[in-house]
Amino acid sequence: MSFIPGQPVSAVVQRIEIHKLWDGDNLILGFSIGGGIDQDPSQNPFSEDKADKGIYVTRVSKGGPAEVAGLRLGDKIMQVNGWDMTMVTHDQARKKLTKKNEDVVRLLVTRRSLEDAVRQSMMQH
Amino acid sequence: YRGEEEIQKECALFPSAAVGETQSSVSAAEDLQTYSEREWKGNTTKSLLIRKGYEAIASEFNLRKVRGDNYCALRAVLFQVLSQSKQLPAWLHDSDISKWPKEMHSDQDFITEWQFPFETSKSKVQHLEQCLELLTNKWQEAVQSKSLEERKRMCQQVFRGHDEEYELLEALKFLMLRTAVQLHSDMEKGSDVPEFCWLLFARDSSKCPKTFLTNHLRHVGFSGGLEQVEMCLLGYSLQETIRVVRLYKCDTEEFITYYPNDHKNASPLCLLTEDDRHYNVLVPKKFPKFDAYGRPKWNPPSDGQSSITTRL
Repeated sequence: MSFIPGQPVSAVVQRIEIHKLWDGDNLILGFSIGGGIDQDPSQNPFSEDKADKGIYVTRVSKGGPAEVAGLRLGDKIMQVNGWDMTMVTHDQARKKLTKKNEDVVRLLVTRRSLEDAVRQSMMQH
Repeated sequence: YRGEEEIQKECALFPSAAVGETQSSVSAAEDLQTYSEREWKGNTTKSLLIRKGYEAIASEFNLRKVRGDNYCALRAVLFQVLSQSKQLPAWLHDSDISKWPKEMHSDQDFITEWQFPFETSKSKVQHLEQCLELLTNKWQEAVQSKSLEERKRMCQQVFRGHDEEYELLEALKFLMLRTAVQLHSDMEKGSDVPEFCWLLFARDSSKCPKTFLTNHLRHVGFSGGLEQVEMCLLGYSLQETIRVVRLYKCDTEEFITYYPNDHKNASPLCLLTEDDRHYNVLVPKKFPKFDAYGRPKWNPPSDGQSSITTRL
């Protein structure tokens, strides 16, 4: 990831590959999502722009597949397996992430500046 | 669903000239759903797909139609830049870009190839200098606007189809060329370059900046528009990310495509296309309304919207 000198670092882009885990009959990812174009964006504590209706990571299970893969609380999910997530309903996002025949999902996420992310993760531990 | 009255009130915030409206290069805002149902009647596979695409984003955006000549992609991006940019970008702020044409001309003999869509008594280098100076001034004027109204008036003045508008569009083309030259040079040195560069210069017709200019860029606005890889170059040149809703790609991963796709900019410029040929502008649907003191305020979330979180 290259920084453009002089530009504010507003988003760090990460590629995250999550290997789902069988939990009884279910494949779990170990994180929760909030957001969607059918949701109220003003309730999102992680977005910079309170009108942002994107899909955000609202919880990450400790030691779960998502955390192991490098997903972090507050990450904004831009794509799942190449599919755009910035203009979808909450349920469409859920569906893209929980396809039964896929045990790996590749996410493209943006994360607030390295500084912000570090500060945020320090608050979690 | 928004009632027609609400939509009309919101459209009033985008001034549309009563006289000479047909001269405007960017139309007033209109509802996407209404537009879609009017333009794409019928039940062919294509109509259904396009309407589905419009419907998917209709709750988030209104449409502003852009004059449909071969400049439309540049025009749509320029419009979004002038109407939304929050600050002068570093590259514009830190340099006197009107010096760039002379610098390029002394380095390589490109500018003699340049085509302008208007008459000019100046030399091509001088005219490009003028175009870049105009871009700097207009961008500055836009970000320094004291109110939403002032900004919208300023944009409306620019997009009237006069020489000024085309000078700004030619300025954008010059920036693309200059960036192409830099990136090509970086590639030859073996430095890191964005992915799209390889595609840009892999085309037989544009193996280097000179042929890129001769075979592609100088024709933009005349006999051709921008290819997708050139959209990446445009975004990269401006240090912006262009997000395009591509309706004919509805139901595929390419429905929403970012140019360039490195997501460096957290506030992309939003465009819409039905076919990757003609581009229109998307404006966010939630306009600030005005409180009792005439100050703009954001719409409160409408009823029925929840804020759920789902465990996966």
